[in-house]
Amino acid sequence: MAAADVRGFDPGDGRISTPSAGRAPARSVGAPAVLPPLAPDGTSPEPARPEPAWSEVVEHFREGLIICDSDGVVRHVSPVAARLLPEVTPGRRLAAAGLAVLTGVTDPDGFGHHGRRLRIRRVALSGSRSCLYVEDVTDSVSRADALLAERARSAFLAVVGEKLGNPLHPDRAAAAVIRLTVPTLAEVAVLVLAPRSGRARWWRATRADHESPTVDSGVLPAAALPPAIAEGLSGVEPHAVDWLVEQAVEAGWLPGLTTSEVTARVVSLPGRDAPAGVLLVARRTRWYDEADLDLVRAFAARAGAALTTAVLYRNQAEVADTLQASLVPVEPPEVPGVQWGTAYRPAQASLRIGGDFYGAHRLADGGAVFFLGDVSGKGVEAAVFTGQLRQCLQALHRVESHPGRLVKLLNDALLETTQAHGQGRFATLVLGTVRPHRDGGLSLTMAGGGHLPPLVLRNSGEVETVPLRGMLIGVVPDPRVGEVTVRLAVGETCLLYSDGVTEARGGRRGDEQFGQDRLVHAVTACHRMPAPALAERVEQVTCDWLGHGDHDDIAVLALRATGPGGRPRRHLHSVPAVPGTAERNPRP
Amino acid sequence: MTAPVDPAHAFADFLACLEEADEYGAIEVATGLLDAGVAAERVLLDLVAPAQVEVGERWARNEWSVAQEHAATHISERVVAAIAGYADPRPTRGRIVVACMDGEWHALPPRLVAEVLRLRGWQVTFLGASVPAAHLVSYLHRHDAHAVALACALPMRLPYAHRMIEACRRSDVPVVVGGRGFGVDGRWARRLGVAWAADAPGAADLVADERRLRRVPPAELSHLADHEYAGLVKRRGELIDSAVADLRVRVPSVGEYTSTQWDATIGDLGYIVDSLAAAVYVDDPELFTDFVSWLATILASRGVPTAAVASTLGHYGHALRDFPRAGRFVALGVAATVASGVVRH
Repeated sequence: MAAADVRGFDPGDGRISTPSAGRAPARSVGAPAVLPPLAPDGTSPEPARPEPAWSEVVEHFREGLIICDSDGVVRHVSPVAARLLPEVTPGRRLAAAGLAVLTGVTDPDGFGHHGRRLRIRRVALSGSRSCLYVEDVTDSVSRADALLAERARSAFLAVVGEKLGNPLHPDRAAAAVIRLTVPTLAEVAVLVLAPRSGRARWWRATRADHESPTVDSGVLPAAALPPAIAEGLSGVEPHAVDWLVEQAVEAGWLPGLTTSEVTARVVSLPGRDAPAGVLLVARRTRWYDEADLDLVRAFAARAGAALTTAVLYRNQAEVADTLQASLVPVEPPEVPGVQWGTAYRPAQASLRIGGDFYGAHRLADGGAVFFLGDVSGKGVEAAVFTGQLRQCLQALHRVESHPGRLVKLLNDALLETTQAHGQGRFATLVLGTVRPHRDGGLSLTMAGGGHLPPLVLRNSGEVETVPLRGMLIGVVPDPRVGEVTVRLAVGETCLLYSDGVTEARGGRRGDEQFGQDRLVHAVTACHRMPAPALAERVEQVTCDWLGHGDHDDIAVLALRATGPGGRPRRHLHSVPAVPGTAERNPRP
Repeated sequence: MTAPVDPAHAFADFLACLEEADEYGAIEVATGLLDAGVAAERVLLDLVAPAQVEVGERWARNEWSVAQEHAATHISERVVAAIAGYADPRPTRGRIVVACMDGEWHALPPRLVAEVLRLRGWQVTFLGASVPAAHLVSYLHRHDAHAVALACALPMRLPYAHRMIEACRRSDVPVVVGGRGFGVDGRWARRLGVAWAADAPGAADLVADERRLRRVPPAELSHLADHEYAGLVKRRGELIDSAVADLRVRVPSVGEYTSTQWDATIGDLGYIVDSLAAAVYVDDPELFTDFVSWLATILASRGVPTAAVASTLGHYGHALRDFPRAGRFVALGVAATVASGVVRH
């Protein structure tokens, strides 16, 4: 019986058709055309019950049956076994069939035979006889293979989903895309992004000996792209694949591969309107069949979405960054005799801006005006308001440098804007002027607009609370503004802070306020600290108190009288700003 | 040409400047070495780094106040800036982002790493101390980075560190970690499945080898299935409360504590729970025993007897009857505390 015939018998539903006894009689040698008795001692069954027709029963088994005697000679071959293993002939030795699997070690995975997959189970019978059960597992194996392949595909796509969901930087997203292609989709893969201003960026992953592929990238003029790629970028998937390989090899994109041994495909990565890019996959091992292409396309869809999102994010973030940069507090300018220290930690860490603000401007007379405050509201809106406030101060300090009058001017300006916009916005702040003295000390005149009182760290180690009162700014036309003048000797420091410090909730239960007392204690004995170190210390003790809890915006501004003399300043001037450290302040 | 100078010889001068909070003096010592031809990397690693270690030890021995330590650290940072400005390398390689983990304020060691990387041609962004994960991630989304270097000095912060590492990973940026928080040999970095560098040159070598950077074994955290870590975090407040109540009963004199003393005590009680939780997180009792031995030493230098720590641990052990793993760690902690007391007396 030929393999084709065997296949013809299969009903195709996974079952093996049972042949009629007439068409394919069981072939046995030796006397009767029935099975040898199964009972080992040959005793006949009870005569009272009619014996079942064993041969008939066995013929309907899905497994075929081959029985050999103690000499290894085949004694019985069931019709199914005969169909599956036509080489086995009754009366001849099993080994004569020329199939090693029949006599050797059986493989649990089965073996291929006449286009089918067979599994053999060998059982020893009494009297050194043996029985071989032969099963056709072609369909279950192919179903299992298909299932495994499908599982591998979904597992791959799951990994793809996980890896591509997060990189929001376009270059990172592109690198993540290309790294995922090897080895599942290709040996070499090239991703070309849609050209921007005539230049196309590309990434390539090449299979390496190690687990992770080698990735490189570069830029090409859009005009130099191979036609198939350019076509793909316009949204057309090239069908003729022979010249695709040639083009890719010619462009030098498939290092180490030659035209004859490679198969390649190009798919476009869907974008918002035009494709976000194209992906070229190439490998030596196997032709890309429809199932493979479906997987590449499913991958391309996800990759396209990830790249589109990343580009969208970049465009939005560019706008946001520009706006943010104008809202982030500006570091105070250098003022002779003053050492500034600042700390800034907005409530929304990812935003980097908030409702607290500080700043300083130099005055023509050698002093400076400085301020720290807090506006109502949170997040972006509050930050925008702080921006308006800072711009107001930037302009107003040129016409009025007296703190009390400057705060009142600011109040008028804010009232006008908030009334015009029909929204009640207000702020609290401390605003002061600092003027150096001949002895190196500083004279601070401060006006209070409903803000927390500043602290002064004396050289004696004492921490004083500056008695400064006043009303909120931006609420009533002529607010009461407190004013006070403080002298700082060389080495003494004045500390301004926002309520994000004193109202930080933490402690045992996370609900206790940090409070003024703890702040005073935290800065006690810190009078020798440089101002930046002091500001950082306040930020640190506040954050330690918070644990990992949520917090309001935190802002700290410290000014220390360093004195004009002492050490020459040339060394400080020889310390230029270090690239990259600019991003350190303001801290998140 | 001046003869090469050994940074070790300048060490005493430098430390004296730190002690006096003399920023200009300290910068002079460092730039003097640079003028004499010493490589910037050596000045950073053989002068500034060991001086900072000494500063920390002086604080631990209660010789220096927190204020002095902060001032000295600030000055060291200024010195690092001066050295970086002096060397002024031009970036020729990709961007590396260096940051301290959230809640981590020991910014000088990662700053040294940042400068060493800069000296080796990387374009380095130093985000500073205690960087919130959200800020770091949004930074990574905005600026393509070749790698992120994260520092963690305190093992008790490891669970947070792990979250931060995972956040960077999700942005597909390789992470290298460093600092004592990961154990002297980086064993807890291995447990968390992240590349670890012992020092600044090690970090520089690692980031230069992208394959090595990406080839890290997966985290081994199957033990978290027993939910003991989550349980400890949830019961943190309750545990501290009960420990305070226990203290009031056992040591009547605490009734006279000032609010500041209470804050410090409650802080320490919290650190014990945090360290225990971190030890349970990485499944290594040594993290906890190291911490309690260290705490006992620190407290002893500030007049708190070792027995006080041991008995508080005993209380925690009793309160954690339902936590077999944590309970075992606490028992080992008691033994370690007692041992550290014995060694000293």
